Amino acid sequence: MPANALDISGLTVRHGDVLAVDGIDLRIGRGETVALLGPNGAGKSSTVSAVLGLLHPAAGTVRVLDRAPADAVRAGCVGAMLQHGGLPSEARVGEVLHLVRRSYPDPWPLEDLVATTGIGGLHARPAEALSGGQRQRVVLALALAGQPPLLLLDEPTSAMDVEGRRAFWTTMRELAARGTTVVFATHHLEEADAVADRVVVLAGGRVVADGSSAEVRSAVSGRTVRLSVTEDADLTALPGVLSAERQAGTAVLTTTDPEATLRVLLDRGIPLADLEVRGASLEDAVLTLTTGAAR
Amino acid sequence: MSPLFAFQLRRVGRNRQYLLFTVALPAAFTVFFTQVFAGAPGGISQEAAAATMVAMMAYGAIGAALGATIRLSFDRASGWLRQLRVTPVPQTSVVAVDVAVGVLLALPPLVVVALVGRFVNGVRLDPGAWVGLVGVLWLGSAVFVALGLLLGWALEEKAAGGAMGLVATVLAALGGLWVPVEIFPSGLRAVAHALPSYWYARTGRDVAAGGLPDLTAVAVLAAFGAAFAVLAVAVARRRPLAAVAG
Repeated sequence: MPANALDISGLTVRHGDVLAVDGIDLRIGRGETVALLGPNGAGKSSTVSAVLGLLHPAAGTVRVLDRAPADAVRAGCVGAMLQHGGLPSEARVGEVLHLVRRSYPDPWPLEDLVATTGIGGLHARPAEALSGGQRQRVVLALALAGQPPLLLLDEPTSAMDVEGRRAFWTTMRELAARGTTVVFATHHLEEADAVADRVVVLAGGRVVADGSSAEVRSAVSGRTVRLSVTEDADLTALPGVLSAERQAGTAVLTTTDPEATLRVLLDRGIPLADLEVRGASLEDAVLTLTTGAAR
Repeated sequence: MSPLFAFQLRRVGRNRQYLLFTVALPAAFTVFFTQVFAGAPGGISQEAAAATMVAMMAYGAIGAALGATIRLSFDRASGWLRQLRVTPVPQTSVVAVDVAVGVLLALPPLVVVALVGRFVNGVRLDPGAWVGLVGVLWLGSAVFVALGLLLGWALEEKAAGGAMGLVATVLAALGGLWVPVEIFPSGLRAVAHALPSYWYARTGRDVAAGGLPDLTAVAVLAAFGAAFAVLAVAVARRRPLAAVAG
């Protein structure tokens, strides 16, 4: 059986007195596309850094494709876009790309790499003269230069505009379809929702949820029922309802069982005017999960 | 030649300021000082002309070695070193290339200033002494490569930018490379004796005079080099490469 792409157990990372990662266990199989979600300080970057061998964990082990992190990087198994990674001054894009490609045992053919990452025409450009989006694309090209089986992306789209972001995730989906394992940390919930087949929510250095984005959503807050009500409508003691709010003639009910909730509302003779039932957004879920863990 | 070595060399070579300050400036000073003293009553002796040349060779090599290495602070600040860490390029060769680039770039000022000394100022030495002079100063430049790596790891970007020009100038001025130590007041002379630049120039003067470098000078330089290297490694180890936030 082939080893997991990523095998993290009991990972603990400290920055001085701050406990950044608090005993995380995480297994990611080959070919998975996994989003690491969570607010600032949740431990996303520290986890990514530990996986890349950029820091020494206080405790726990990390195996990357059955190797120690530094060995996996040396062997060219990993490509990464770092949040605080950068390009050298006094160098041209083509030179940097050439240098990095040559360091991998099986580099991505140059023309195809340039086309895939959309950096055509930037070859002779000094790194200092790139826009934020161009920079990110060049860094992506560096991450992909060795056709690595595992990609680690730490907030990769933070400097991109909407269009750049869309193109970026199209590329990621193509790579995932080819069998590349993609692990990315992000603030952008819609990206996790659209791209990842698995979402791992981190808060306070721990994993607070792990599953498909639908699972993460449903595990938390059930559904939201919204309807227009008169002042005298009785909204107490409804089955399944976790919370009920009224604002300016609109009631917002969070319920684990919308069917039962609606049946009782009908029994009470409350008209279901402007009725709206929807699942919690991933954003709601993450907010609930992460504030819950922080408490 | 390793691809990283070629890459790093090209980056420094692209910096015109660097070439100006480490090669052209010491060469110009060699001419300037010698001609000024030559115009004074009594003229300038062969020894004084040779001493000026050796001092400027030392000054140029110190500046080149420091300038080539302190710049690693910029690569830390830009995140390039971190990016390089997640490629298969081994960390040991990144360090080895930094050392090699620093040592190699110390050579052009030595050669250019020596040529200026010989053909413009008419300094005459035995062929063996010329080779020995360039060789001993080139070897000794490793001390300043180590110092540059230490400063590159220890200083933040802005401080490093200032240090690139300043440290070489201070080492040169207080080490007796601008003005001979013999005419320093005694307090300043003690300062000069505490600096590696003084002993560095001393080894050059000894060889230019047709002898072997003074053993004390060699020992002091070796001690400075070892101390700088050990400190550089210690400081580099303490530098986190990972992003702390998030």
